[in-house]
Amino acid sequence: MDTTIATSKPFERKAVPNGVLAMILLLITEAMLYGGLISAYIVNKAGAMVWPPPDQPRLPVEVTGVNTLILLSSAVVLFFFSRRVNKIGAIDSKSTNILLVTILLGATFLTIQGTEWARLIGYGLTTHSSIYGAFFYTLIGAHGLHVFAGLCILFYLYFSIRKASSFEIAKNKISTCILYWYFVVAIWPVLYRLVYFN
Amino acid sequence: MENLHHKKSFWSKYIFSTDHKTIGIQYMVMGMFMAGVGGYLAYVFRYNLAFPGKSIPFYGMLGAEQYNAFVTIHGMIMVFWVGMPVLLSAFGNFLIPIMIGTDDMAFPTLNALSVQIFFLSAVILIASFFVPGGAFGGGWTMYPPFSAGGYLNHNPDFFKALFSGTSLLILAVALEFVAMLMGGINFLVTTVNKRAKGMTPWKIPVIIWFLNIGAVIFMFSVGPLVAGAFMLLFDNVLGTGFYDPHRGGDPMLWEHLFWFFGHPEVYVLLLPSLGVLAEIVPVFSRKPLFAYKTIIYLALLSAFLSVLVWAHHQFVAGIDPRMATFFSIGTILISIPFAGIFLSYMATLWGGKITMKVPMLWAIGFIGLFLIGGLTGLFLGSNTFDIYAHDTYFVVAHFHYTLFPDIFFGFFAAFYFWFPKFSGKELNPKLGKWHFWLTFIFFNGLFFLLFFNGLAGQHRRINDYSSFSLISREPYQTFEQIATISAIGLILSQFIFLYNFISTLRSNRKSVKNPWESTTLEWLSDSPPPHGNFNPYPVVYRGAYDYSLPDVPEDFTPQNVPNPNNN
Repeated sequence: MDTTIATSKPFERKAVPNGVLAMILLLITEAMLYGGLISAYIVNKAGAMVWPPPDQPRLPVEVTGVNTLILLSSAVVLFFFSRRVNKIGAIDSKSTNILLVTILLGATFLTIQGTEWARLIGYGLTTHSSIYGAFFYTLIGAHGLHVFAGLCILFYLYFSIRKASSFEIAKNKISTCILYWYFVVAIWPVLYRLVYFN
Repeated sequence: MENLHHKKSFWSKYIFSTDHKTIGIQYMVMGMFMAGVGGYLAYVFRYNLAFPGKSIPFYGMLGAEQYNAFVTIHGMIMVFWVGMPVLLSAFGNFLIPIMIGTDDMAFPTLNALSVQIFFLSAVILIASFFVPGGAFGGGWTMYPPFSAGGYLNHNPDFFKALFSGTSLLILAVALEFVAMLMGGINFLVTTVNKRAKGMTPWKIPVIIWFLNIGAVIFMFSVGPLVAGAFMLLFDNVLGTGFYDPHRGGDPMLWEHLFWFFGHPEVYVLLLPSLGVLAEIVPVFSRKPLFAYKTIIYLALLSAFLSVLVWAHHQFVAGIDPRMATFFSIGTILISIPFAGIFLSYMATLWGGKITMKVPMLWAIGFIGLFLIGGLTGLFLGSNTFDIYAHDTYFVVAHFHYTLFPDIFFGFFAAFYFWFPKFSGKELNPKLGKWHFWLTFIFFNGLFFLLFFNGLAGQHRRINDYSSFSLISREPYQTFEQIATISAIGLILSQFIFLYNFISTLRSNRKSVKNPWESTTLEWLSDSPPPHGNFNPYPVVYRGAYDYSLPDVPEDFTPQNVPNPNNN
């Protein structure tokens, strides 16, 4: 009772590459993390008598609106990057330059957020000044950390695809990493609407 | 066994290995060690309950605060540092690649990282006993205000608050979740992409299905808890006040975020053990598993229902009565899929050629004890009864009747079953039977009488009943003493297992390749399996439960035997 036909290498299914599948699963978990944070925020906001508290500074809606456009455009640029790579079937320097533009846009977003935070802290909005401040820093801070992680991932992508041994490997890396950035960008308008517009 | 890889040092072979089998064994050993720690804590506070005010052998006097800390950390350890690593990580890592016929996990390095993070989390947890103020003692559910430093915690000293028992516990749990998340992603990607040729979804063994469904439930429910845990940590170290009603926060929010994860978590723990039963029961009944597809569908249904029942932990917390009815119905509904799964196992036994080998004893013991746990759960699921029984020993006895069989009977069933596979040796069955019977008797001695203590109204979080003459009347104090003596017996019985384990590893009682005559792929590999598991890799032609087929001379047909009727 032995095997009649057998393979000398482990069998692998290729419909969805390992990295992409793992990233999708990670992002489902991340989405649930935001689900928890956002529902906590909504529950708290609904239970508050006055929201936002009158003695707390207003949030910078206009600057952040411009910043939102910057972040959204970074995703558009990233989309053109992945489309171009798939179309020409190789990694050339023009493609990596487009990727660099995405990274710069993301970094700009993070810098503007940082300066706005510094100003808000100066105006007296801190983590323990009110629950309003606590939620602001937790929700927006969680997103800021994700943008930072996304930038690290894109940097890694920028350096690794130029050294990748085959186009197939580079392509898998690209389709895995860009998913994370799309997620980070997609979650932002939701947070912007919920937190900045009361 | 051919030598596929060059010789490695002890460190790279056993400590920093990326091989899925070594990682599985690392998780198992760490889980067993933590079970020892959790068992010791249980011994100390059980002794205090039975003989209050007495000095405890191997510990000394136990104060009320230490009692609380011991109960809390006992619960934490048994769920997150024993149940999760042993049932999900050890079984998953050891069994998934080898039962689906592949060489390793999809991401071996991530896997090694996961076990290292898990180790770190266990170190932080144990370290929390030794910081000023001691370990956290507000119950394993960490309800604020106990867990938020009280309600006057407006501007805490960051580092002092960070190195407190509460913060360290939150950090340890968070790290443990990171480790489990890495493992869960690995399980799913491996199962989806690396199954042997021909292993279509309906040919996957039940345990692999259940481990993956468990991983999905975990990943779906853990996010909100992590969000809530960070908010709790900020309340502690930054003074944010998310759970402080004086500042507009809401302590109930934590209960929802915690139980949104906490209840699905019990199914994350239950499903792997039920999977073990699905592998063991057909082997020792020499019959195909009854209603294989139905079992999978029922598990998927239970996974869906598991995220709709969490508020049954909060019936006394003042939630809207309409909501309580909804969650009561959900809770009672979720017993249907599990009843279906257990019925399928019993139907598998029906008319089979049952042999009471050691793994089968544990499996049958599991089914019997879990029945008591499940049935008492139905009573508690009804909010009218729960309001009376909440936080009494009835609840304690109920969840120990579910979790103890689940974690320990499930683990021992699997251990005795797969030990020949991962060591190549044969355990002493006589000692195994002693171990089973003593564990079974002492476990019942420990928890059965506590149901009556609970019904008499004894509350679970009181360290010394002699101060409450009205509720400390007889026979309930005697019941507490019987429970404690049984607890000590239960712990001592585990030394039989340890002796059996260690003496077998040192002996040379070689096991045959497929000692139980099972059909699944792991038994095609050598014992212990070499690096890479198979050479050549198997091709799957049939489901995992082809026992006693009509026209076949042997009473089992492995999955890699071509099937003339199908293909």
